[in-house]
Amino acid sequence: MTPTRETFGNIPLSSQLAFYALAAASMAVFAWGVYRRWKLWRLGTSINARDLITGSLAAVWQKVRGGAKRVAIDAGAQQRVRGHGLGTVAHVSLYVGFMALFVGTVLLETDNVLSHLWHGLKFHQGAYYVAYEFTLDVLGLLFLLGTLFFLGRRLVKPPALGHRATDWYVLLGFLAIGVTGYLVEALRILWQQPTGLGAHCSPVGLWLAGWLHLGEAEARHSHFLVWWIHSFLVFAFIASIPFTRLFHFIAGPMHIFLAKNVLGVMPPVTMEEVEATGRVGPADIRHFSQQQLLSLDACMECGRCEEVCPAFATAKPLSPKRVVQDLKGAMEKTAAALAAGKESEVPALHEATIAAETLWSCTACNACVNTCPVRVDQLTFILTLRRHLVAEGGLSGTAATALRRMQSNGNPWGLPATERTAWTDALKPKS
Amino acid sequence: MSTPAELTAPTVKENPSFEILYWVGCAASYDRRAQRVARAMVRLLRHAGVNFAILGKEEKCTGDSARRLGDEFLFQELATANIETLNKYHVKRIVAHCPHCVNALLKDYAQFGGHYEVVHHTQLLAELIRAGKLPAVAAADVNSGNAGAGDVTYHDPCYLARVNGIHEAPREVLATAIGGRSLCEMKRNRANTSCCGAGGGRMWMEEDPKQRVSTQRAGEALATGAKTVATGCPFCLTMMSDGVAANGAEARVLDIAELLVERLGLNPPAAPAPSAPATPASS
Ligand code: SF4
Ligand code: SF4
Repeated sequence: MTPTRETFGNIPLSSQLAFYALAAASMAVFAWGVYRRWKLWRLGTSINARDLITGSLAAVWQKVRGGAKRVAIDAGAQQRVRGHGLGTVAHVSLYVGFMALFVGTVLLETDNVLSHLWHGLKFHQGAYYVAYEFTLDVLGLLFLLGTLFFLGRRLVKPPALGHRATDWYVLLGFLAIGVTGYLVEALRILWQQPTGLGAHCSPVGLWLAGWLHLGEAEARHSHFLVWWIHSFLVFAFIASIPFTRLFHFIAGPMHIFLAKNVLGVMPPVTMEEVEATGRVGPADIRHFSQQQLLSLDACMECGRCEEVCPAFATAKPLSPKRVVQDLKGAMEKTAAALAAGKESEVPALHEATIAAETLWSCTACNACVNTCPVRVDQLTFILTLRRHLVAEGGLSGTAATALRRMQSNGNPWGLPATERTAWTDALKPKS
Repeated sequence: MSTPAELTAPTVKENPSFEILYWVGCAASYDRRAQRVARAMVRLLRHAGVNFAILGKEEKCTGDSARRLGDEFLFQELATANIETLNKYHVKRIVAHCPHCVNALLKDYAQFGGHYEVVHHTQLLAELIRAGKLPAVAAADVNSGNAGAGDVTYHDPCYLARVNGIHEAPREVLATAIGGRSLCEMKRNRANTSCCGAGGGRMWMEEDPKQRVSTQRAGEALATGAKTVATGCPFCLTMMSDGVAANGAEARVLDIAELLVERLGLNPPAAPAPSAPATPASS
C-alpha cells in the first residue's frame, strides 16, 4: 500500500466546516491587528512606498532587489540573528522548526484543495509523503527545543531583554501547539495502524504512540478531541501575532526590506524644509518617516543594542532600546490623541518622551545600529532629535562653546586659522 | 621660494602639482599631543617620497562634531566652504589620520556634491609598505631599548573599523611597526570595537569621572597585558591616554604612524623621547 493518510481523517464534515470558519476568523483578527499597526506607521512622513511598485517589471525589480536580498539574508538565512551563542542557536532552531511546520501546513492544504478539485491531483502520498512526514516530525523537535530554551530564558530574565506578560502566553502556547501536534500524530497512528514506512516515517509520533495504551475506538475519540485543541491553539496563535512580540514576524522583515543601514550617514535638512515646516528636527512623532515608525514596531526588545552601548555600560541615562520603546509609546499615544480629536494631547518628543540628557549621552558609535537584528536605526533617531534641541537653544556648556568656536574660527579650539600650520615649525631644520 | 622637496609640509599653493592632499584636521592642527601624529605622518610621507600638500590655513573643521551634535546648518556651512576649497585646488585624493574627518569627507560631503577618494593614513601607509617605499629596518629593532615597549594592543576607532570597515590596513601597518612583537587583540575588536567615548560631539563635553567610557575601554586594553596601546584616531588618542591614567597604569598610547616612525628610526634627535608616558592632550 502506498504510504499516505487522509487529510481530515477521523474528522467529521461538520468539524471540518467549523475548522475553516475558525481559520477565516483568526485570519480576520490577524489582518485587523496588522491594519491597526499600519495606521500608526502612516502617521509618519511619506516614504512613497508606491514608487517601489511602479514602472516596468525590470524597473521594479531594480528597486526592490536590494530589499529582497536583505530579507533573504538577514531574516531568511538569519544572518543578523548570529553572534549570540545559545540564544542564536535557539532562535535559529525555533525559526527552522516553525518555518518547516508553516510550509508543511501550506503544502498539506494545497494538496487538500487540489485533491478536491480533481482526485488525481493528490500528491500527499508515496515517497513524497514519507519525506514530508519525516521532515516535519523531526523539525518539530527543533521548534520545541527552541521554545524550551526561550521559556528557560524568560525564567532567568537577562536584564537587557524586554519582558511582557504576553511572552508567557506566546511561549506556553508554542509549547502546547508542539506537544498537541505530536499527540495528534500519535493518536492517528493508533487508530490508523499504518504499517512499514507509513508508520516509521513519523518516529516521534510512533514513539509517543508506544506510550499510549489505547484501543482503536478510544484512540479515535481522543484524536478528535486533541485535534480540536491543537486547531484552537493554532488559530489563537495566528490571531495573536499582531498583539504580541510575535509581531516581529511581520514588522521585522518589512523593515529589513525598507532599511539599509549605511553607517556614518545622516539625512540632510534643507533651508526650504525649515521654512516650510517652521522647525528643525523632529518635535513630535509625525516628523519621523513611515519607515522609522515601522522600525519602532519591528523592535522586539532583544536588548542587543543596549548590551553594546557604551553610554549604557557607563551608567548614563541612555539605552538605545529604551529610546526606541519610548518613541513607540509616543507613537501609540499620538494616534490615540488624534483619534480622540485632541491635537493638544499629542506628546512632545522632547522631555515628555526623551530627556535631553539621554540624547547628549550618545557617542554616535553606531554599535547599536550595527547589531540590531531588524535594522532599527537608533542613532538616526537620537541625532535628528538633537537637531531640534540645538535649534531650540537646548545645548549649553563646553559643547556649545565648541560649536561657537567652530562657527567663528573654523575649529573647535577657537584658535586663529593663521596658527593652523604652527605644528610644522618643529619639522623645519634648525638653522 | 624653496622647492617642494625641501618644504616640510608644503601647502597646496606651494606645491600645486600635489598628488594627494593631506587633510590634517583640527586636532592635529591645534592639539599639542595630536600634532605629534601629524609630524610623524609628514616624516613618513617624505621618507616614502609621496607628493603631497596640505591646505594650511584654508582648511576648516570638517564639521563632523557639529553635525552629530545636531547643528546641521553650522555643519553645512563648514562643509560648503571646505568643498569649495577642495574643488578650487582640484583635489582628487585625500589622506586623513582622523576617522571622523575620513567619514565626513567621504560620506557627509558626498551629500553636498563633494566627491573625493578618501583614505585613512593607515591605508596609505599600508599601500606604501606594500610598494616597498617604507622598508622596515632589518631584524634588529632599532628601538628595542625603549622602556615599556612590551606587547601592543590596537584599539579600533568606531568611525574607522565599524563605520567604514577599515580594520585590516591598520593591522598591516602595525605588523611592520612592531616587528617581532605580538599584537594582543582585545575581546571587542574590528567591527565589534567599543567606543572611546569621544564621538558624537562627546569630545567636547564634560564627563563624570565615574562614568567615563574611556576608563572602561582603556581597562579592556590594559587587560590584554599590553604595554603599548596603538590607535588610529586623535580623539581615541586623547581618550585612551586619559583612560590609561585613570586606571593608574603606565602603558604608552600612540598612533600607528608614531609607532612606524619609531620603528623606522625617523624620529629626529630633538623630538620628545618616545619612551615618555603619553600625557593627556592639552585640549
Ligand atoms: S532596537 Fe534592535 S537591537 Fe535594540 S532591542 Fe530593538 S530589536 Fe533589539
Ligand atoms: S550610537 Fe549611541 S545609542 Fe548607539 S550604542 Fe553608541 S552610544 Fe549607544
